Amino acid sequence: MAKRNKLEIIRDILKIIQNNHSIRPTPLLRKSNLSSSQFKKYYLELLNKKFIKETYGKNKTITLTEKGQKYLEKYLTIINFIDEFEL
Amino acid sequence: MAPMTGRAIEQGMGQGLGKIMNSGIQGEIIYSFIIIACSLMIYFGTKELYNLTSHKGIKYFRQAFLFFALAYFFRSFIKIILFYFEKSELLTFFPIFGSITLFMFMYFSSMAIFYLLYSVMWKKWKWKSTILLFHLTSLAIATTTILFRSPTAYLIINILLFAFISLTVYLSHKQPKKKKPTNLYIIYLMLFFFWILNIIDILVPNFLQTFQLFIYLTSLGIFLSILYKVIKKTN
Repeated sequence: MAKRNKLEIIRDILKIIQNNHSIRPTPLLRKSNLSSSQFKKYYLELLNKKFIKETYGKNKTITLTEKGQKYLEKYLTIINFIDEFEL
Repeated sequence: MAPMTGRAIEQGMGQGLGKIMNSGIQGEIIYSFIIIACSLMIYFGTKELYNLTSHKGIKYFRQAFLFFALAYFFRSFIKIILFYFEKSELLTFFPIFGSITLFMFMYFSSMAIFYLLYSVMWKKWKWKSTILLFHLTSLAIATTTILFRSPTAYLIINILLFAFISLTVYLSHKQPKKKKPTNLYIIYLMLFFFWILNIIDILVPNFLQTFQLFIYLTSLGIFLSILYKVIKKTN
């Protein structure tokens, strides 16, 4: 399997959250196929960029924000743009 | 000396404006306006993609077009001044003002070229101070332009700049995976080539007078084709 680039990893993490509506951090780490240190790095970046938000109820769960949703919607456009201009 | 009345000032301004509009500069203004508008549309049209990704390639690509817009602004400013005062050489007649404007034009031009080149090369050029080097080189080019007031020096600087860009684009493309040059590289090479002709057109007046219309139309075509590609890809 080819190594995923940063944009693909972010897309995959957001997609997992979207498919589950809300998910706890441990299953998200498992499903994302990343090492825990890598996962932590991406997780913090997604929180900082406000792509995801943490909700505290019985357990801590993660949900997608509007911006995260927007990233998923625009993902193909982003990839096509980067490919077109070889950026 | 009698003080100038409001009407006299108005008349003077009106004459000045009329002079600008009648001296064949309309084409120059339209040309600059279209290029600046294209560059700014590319810059603002890709803002959302950059905000979502923070992708370095997109960042450098956008900055290149912001610098193109700024460079063209100063370029059109120089042209208008030369037309208005009916001069052919900026630095001789307006030493201080001309030097500042020309310096800004050369600095932004060089930065635009370097940033566009870097947008496709950033993955290969790992050196941390690349951007700093671009600023220093652009400052050096701008300073040299002001200090050496000779058409030969201007031509040599721009030929060297174009040689560097062409060699970089050629070497980056000379990879086993890519056998045929893509449209993008051809468009970029043409953009660099015609941009340098635009610079020579400002620095060495009358040198390219015969080809001016051809240079303007081709430059417009290149910018419009890049804008079309951006609009098509960003919806």
